[in-house]
Amino acid sequence: MLEIAALVIGLLLPLVLQDYLTVYATRVLILCLFALSFDLVWGYAGIMSFGQAVFFGSAGYGVALLARDLGITSILLVLPAGLLIGFAFALLLGGFLLLGRHPASVIFVALGTLTGSYACDRLARGWYYLGGQNGIPSIPPMTIGSYELTEGPAYYYMAIGFLIVVYLLCRFLMRSQFGLALAGLRENEQRIAFFGYKVQHLKAIIFSLSGAIAGLAGSLYAFHEGFVWPNMLGVVISTQVVLYVLFGGSGTLIGAVIGTVVIEAVSFWLSNSYQDIWPIILGVLLLLVILFRPAGLVSLLLTERERVGNFGRSPGKR
Amino acid sequence: MAVFEIASFGAIVVLVVLGLGIIASMMGIFNFAQGEFVLLGAYVTYIVHSAGAPVWLGMIAAPFVVGALGFVLERLIVRRFYAAPIVAMLGTYALGLIIREIVRGLIGGLYLSVPEPVGGSVAIGGMHFSTWRLVIIVITALVMAGSYLLLARTAFGLRIRASLENPALARASGISTNAIYGATFAFGAALAGLAGALIVPVFTLFADLGIRFLIQGFVAVMVGGIGSFAGPVAGAGLIGTLSAALPWVISPVIADVAVFVLAIIFIKFRPQGLVAGKGV
Repeated sequence: MLEIAALVIGLLLPLVLQDYLTVYATRVLILCLFALSFDLVWGYAGIMSFGQAVFFGSAGYGVALLARDLGITSILLVLPAGLLIGFAFALLLGGFLLLGRHPASVIFVALGTLTGSYACDRLARGWYYLGGQNGIPSIPPMTIGSYELTEGPAYYYMAIGFLIVVYLLCRFLMRSQFGLALAGLRENEQRIAFFGYKVQHLKAIIFSLSGAIAGLAGSLYAFHEGFVWPNMLGVVISTQVVLYVLFGGSGTLIGAVIGTVVIEAVSFWLSNSYQDIWPIILGVLLLLVILFRPAGLVSLLLTERERVGNFGRSPGKR
Repeated sequence: MAVFEIASFGAIVVLVVLGLGIIASMMGIFNFAQGEFVLLGAYVTYIVHSAGAPVWLGMIAAPFVVGALGFVLERLIVRRFYAAPIVAMLGTYALGLIIREIVRGLIGGLYLSVPEPVGGSVAIGGMHFSTWRLVIIVITALVMAGSYLLLARTAFGLRIRASLENPALARASGISTNAIYGATFAFGAALAGLAGALIVPVFTLFADLGIRFLIQGFVAVMVGGIGSFAGPVAGAGLIGTLSAALPWVISPVIADVAVFVLAIIFIKFRPQGLVAGKGV
């Protein structure tokens, strides 16, 4: 129900919005895609990734370099490239952190990804080829054949198209056997291991998959904004996406979307008049959600039955 | 000269990590707000200074103010997180966000400087050393020794360790683990406040001061090993020395990243850290 409502609103939005708002809405949609990628690892598989921006940003930088140095802007090449870059980075980082003789502790993965994100940010800032502090400005627009796709309703509909496709794929995946195994991993890792699943492989697979989605989002973002800069890889974006998903409700796909839209919309609305206190309000709201609504905003709307599982303590038991 | 630079930076990192390590080791919580406690310590010093009082007064006040705030936060919020370490990370992250943005609002995105209470330099063997950095090294050594004695030699330290080792038995023996946790958290926060106060003349005061130290601190605690007193200190010494020493050999950007990468690889293959085991 909620999902269909969101879809209808999403499809009709550009008809009523002014142009500059459509551009803003496109950015939000791309961030939704990014939030989905984090929701897969944390919300479903229970892997805390504080470095999701590594995949988002590296794909952004990758496609920006393709466009700048090789002149490749065709949608058929750059988006798969972004997807692959995100996938490859996630496979490397995830493979290193998650696989191996010692099973990785949750804290180690969280700090490892956080450190990775910080290190990438620093590296991009200091690397002249990547533009240093300023990043890579003025990326040429993405092209379909000879048509140049610039920001506006066209880009909006492309972004929402990708969001819908990825959303449906994730939904299908999460309701499959694989998705159930992942949810089991989150709830009780040992039990899943006793069922004969290779727990570490499952984790590495979903981590890489989420990296691919983050990469797709990153390449869309890079072409939409027209520039990339080191922050895209850094801790700020990494934690931003954690906020979206926690706020909206981790462990539900629509929760990630709702969280992103609500935070970004309120932030846009407040940024004119209350720019200084908005981050403080955001922090307070987040704290309240964590303390009193661990299932996120979406738990106000959705019944328990629609969620695969609950976090931490089971409902009713303290 | 290089050795002195390295030692003074190492001391700063140890000072910052000590509080983080005590909270992580004794309570099992990775406090994401620790960097903001450092920031608050620096801010308190700045406030006292700009009110016309001498800087050292602010530096004495900072640990008490931040420690008190830490105690209040622990009572109100953090104690709800003990069951779930990841939720604790996120919750303290939210706390840190709130503190950081409030301070940003108060100082208005500026870079403010605070003078050193003891200026000048000391000449030893024909070389000049900044007096203030020497003071930092000395205070770090004192604080380290003091914390060690507190944890290892006093009855209070014994209670803290008992609550860490076996909370249920500690409670059964009539130790209020709740109060102990509150006091430990406040102590860790106070150490961060002190660190912030001492380093603010060296670094300038700006809102994102804490973030850099936070990640460095986490990595140091993990490298050193959680659960002991010696672990985080050893880890902090190692990370601090490396981060200060490597830029003399290779380019600073590579050095900065290399320290983190090396540290993560080290933790991957030795998850228990430099110093394994619990206790002091």
